Amino acid sequence: MMRLLITRPKYESVTNYLYFWSESLVEEAESRNLHPIDLQKDKANRKLVEGYLRKDKADTVIFNGHGNDVCVTGHDEEVLIESGVNSNLLKDKVVYMRACSSGKILGPQSIKDGALAFIGYKELFRFWNDGESTHNPLKDEYAKPFFETSNQVAMSLIKGKTAKESHEDSLKMYKKVISDLLTSKSFNSFVVPELVWNMANQVCLEKK
Amino acid sequence: MRKKIKNNMTTENTNKNEITPDMINLVIARLKTVPSNAKLSIGDGTQSLSADSLIEEVKKQSEIGKKVIEAQLFFLRSLQDLPLATA
Repeated sequence: MMRLLITRPKYESVTNYLYFWSESLVEEAESRNLHPIDLQKDKANRKLVEGYLRKDKADTVIFNGHGNDVCVTGHDEEVLIESGVNSNLLKDKVVYMRACSSGKILGPQSIKDGALAFIGYKELFRFWNDGESTHNPLKDEYAKPFFETSNQVAMSLIKGKTAKESHEDSLKMYKKVISDLLTSKSFNSFVVPELVWNMANQVCLEKK
Repeated sequence: MRKKIKNNMTTENTNKNEITPDMINLVIARLKTVPSNAKLSIGDGTQSLSADSLIEEVKKQSEIGKKVIEAQLFFLRSLQDLPLATA
C-alpha cells in the first residue's frame, strides 16, 4: 500500500491556493484508506518532514509550496528540502513538487541521490487568480485550470499510476483544457499562455 | 479531429531572443484584453499583479516584465503545436 506524505503550507495568498487545491488530494487518499501524512499549515516544517522521511514513513511525497532551483519550502518559507543538503532523504521515493523551478537543479540532484522519480517544474509556476477568492480559492475560475491540471499529477499517483503515467495524465489534461479554452468563447481564455508555460516546463525525471 | 501536440515544446530558448518594440507592443495589446480583476501570481514573491501593473512592468522590461513577455511569446510561437479542436 502506498505511504503518502503531503505538505501544504498556508500562510499567504499563493500557499492558500495550494492548500485548498490540495484538499481533494488528501480526500482521495483517505477514501482509498491510504492514511496520508498530511503536513498542513505550520506542520509543513523541516523537522517533521525530515523526521518522517528518515523513518521511511512515506514512499510517495507531494510537496506544495514556494521553491527555487535548489529548494522547496514549507510554512513561512522554511526550507524543507535543499539540493545536496538533505535531498538524499528522497532516496527510493516518488516525488511531486508543485513549486517554482525545483525541476531545474533539485529534481536532477534528487534522482542522483536515489529518488525513484521526480515530477516538478523547471521554471516558475504561474497562475492567474481573480484577486477576490483568496479565502475561497476553489471558487476562482481563473485559477481553476492551473490547479486542476497540476493536481492531476498527484491524483494519478494516488490512484497507483507510475510517475511517468501521472505526468502524462497531467499533460493530457493540460492539452484538453487548453484546447477547450482556445476554441470556445470562455471568459478566461486569457490564462492560456501561462497554462502553456506551466505545461511545457513540467518535467518527469526517473531513476535509470 | 484533434491535432496532436508535439512533445518537443521547450521554453529554453525563449528568453535568449532579443525583445523588440513590436514584441513589447504585441504583449501589451494582449494584456489589455485581460479582465481588470485578474491578477497573475508569478511564483517568486507573494504579490499578484494586475494586467495594468504587468503592462508597466513590460514597458520597463523589469524582471517580472521579461517573464511575462517570455510566456506570451512562447505561447504565440507554440500556437502551431497546440491542440486545437476542429470541426
